[in-house]
Amino acid sequence: MTTHDAEWHVDEEDLRRYGAGALGPPGLWSVEAHLVACALCRQRLALAADPRTVTAGWSRLDAALDVPSRGPVERAMVRIGVPEATARLLAVTPGLRVSWLAAVVLTLALTTLVSYLAQEAAAPMAFLGVAPALPVIGVALSFGPRLDPTSELVSVTPLHTFRLLLLRTMAVLAATSALSGCASLALPGFGLVVLGWLLPGVALTLLTLAMTAHVGPVNAAVLSGAGWIAALAATVHPGTGTSAIFTPAGQLWVTCAALVAGLALTATRSAFATSRHLNLTRSAGPWRNS
Amino acid sequence: MSQPTVTATGLTLRYRATVALRDVSFSLGTGVTGLLGPNGAGKTSLLRILATSIVADHGDLRVLGADPRTAPGRLAVRRRLGYLPQNPGFYPNFTAFAFVDYVAILKELTDRPARHDEVRRVLAAVGLSDQRTRKIKTLSGGMRQRVALAAALLGDPGLLVLDEPTVGLDPEQRLRFRELIAGLGEGRTVLLSTHQTEDVTTVCQRVIVLDAGMIRFEGDPVELATVARGRVWSSPVRAPEALVSWRTGTGVHRNVGHPPPGAPLVEPTLEDGYLLLLDPARAHGAGAAA
Repeated sequence: MTTHDAEWHVDEEDLRRYGAGALGPPGLWSVEAHLVACALCRQRLALAADPRTVTAGWSRLDAALDVPSRGPVERAMVRIGVPEATARLLAVTPGLRVSWLAAVVLTLALTTLVSYLAQEAAAPMAFLGVAPALPVIGVALSFGPRLDPTSELVSVTPLHTFRLLLLRTMAVLAATSALSGCASLALPGFGLVVLGWLLPGVALTLLTLAMTAHVGPVNAAVLSGAGWIAALAATVHPGTGTSAIFTPAGQLWVTCAALVAGLALTATRSAFATSRHLNLTRSAGPWRNS
Repeated sequence: MSQPTVTATGLTLRYRATVALRDVSFSLGTGVTGLLGPNGAGKTSLLRILATSIVADHGDLRVLGADPRTAPGRLAVRRRLGYLPQNPGFYPNFTAFAFVDYVAILKELTDRPARHDEVRRVLAAVGLSDQRTRKIKTLSGGMRQRVALAAALLGDPGLLVLDEPTVGLDPEQRLRFRELIAGLGEGRTVLLSTHQTEDVTTVCQRVIVLDAGMIRFEGDPVELATVARGRVWSSPVRAPEALVSWRTGTGVHRNVGHPPPGAPLVEPTLEDGYLLLLDPARAHGAGAAA
């Protein structure tokens, strides 16, 4: 440090070395602390430093200010190792928005409470009936023009629509399954039957995706949901009020259904290449304003 | 015209009983081509085919040397395509930078520093550098269109497809947008859909007139005006022979159609030629509106 107009200031050599990035601690800490408080030394630094270094520094600062801030879901994904670009793609999934996840938590809390109050039943039917439908609704919310405003743009980018659909589906399925899993822990009295939602959830999601290629995501979700209600109604035992779907044999049938739906989905992959059959464009009809 | 970059032969597209495009053939080279036509002419359908969003039922199409009907060809086109849909969707809480960054990820720009440099480049190209950190919901309609155009310009596309980009903009925004588009045709192919003849007059080197799914004209804007040579005349009152007639600012009527013998002919404009090319029922409708 040196004196200038009866004040302490950084001497020229230290400024030059600081500007070149060659000044080490503890001198570095001292100079930095002083620069924060001294406008005159900041001006001297700007003159002493290589102009290219100053320009590069401004560019870095500018770039840092541009960088979009990450929301909680995106931060969590990056933290567990999801690549930055993939995390950004997934973070905009409507089915992963905090508002939607809050609705899932509320629904699970209510169904868990109802099931808890009916401890004498053989299975927590309210919970098991609702939990498999949650990923289906999440997927329907995450794909297509009604809730994803960029769907038309997405459909003509090099990223295959099918890949994006699967990415979003896996993210929604993982999030809702984690929440449903937590809810299951609140019902230990029912034993393993409380996990009976898992396979139907996967099967219904795959079925929804397979039908999306033909009827669009929302209709597919509605059809899957209606089918699930019908299956529950058809398999419920009048005496116990428990569906056969949640027995070991029933779970085996659900696994078979999931495999068939998975194969059907694979077969429809090419239908996702363009938006014509997916109702992905935002217009009400093909000729609107055309 | 320069070497064709887009060649369409016999494109036909049906939506159930409705024929959207009938045996449409044309070619495009570098520069800005206007696709002019009334509402319902099939412009958006044609643009969606070029943008690989949908596939024509019949006909051949080559875009930038690739066949978009095949999966590899479609991918090749999408990698060199910039598409501005008629109603581009946005995530309103994203900043302009974050939105364009998201589209850049969809366009396979996964290297973060390089991607951010490209985002800054395209935002500068559309004059939005100073607005890049503003949320989209706070931007005007014209600025949002420029955000969508910036997203379309990512990766320096060889083909730019713009679907009615000036609709909904006020006169000043429209002029600024035209100025922007005029500069984009250098070294690349730009297809600009519009139903405003001023767009064509001011920025297009070539024009295609589409009506009822059929091409009525393909040529340069001056040639389109000459279609009406000898078919435009003035009169003190509305001429009964006119297909279209309107009272001008000077008080005299400008008539387009079959002039009576001895009628004082006036110099035709591109708009006159366009009106004469439309089928008579539509021309009458347009005239009433005019």
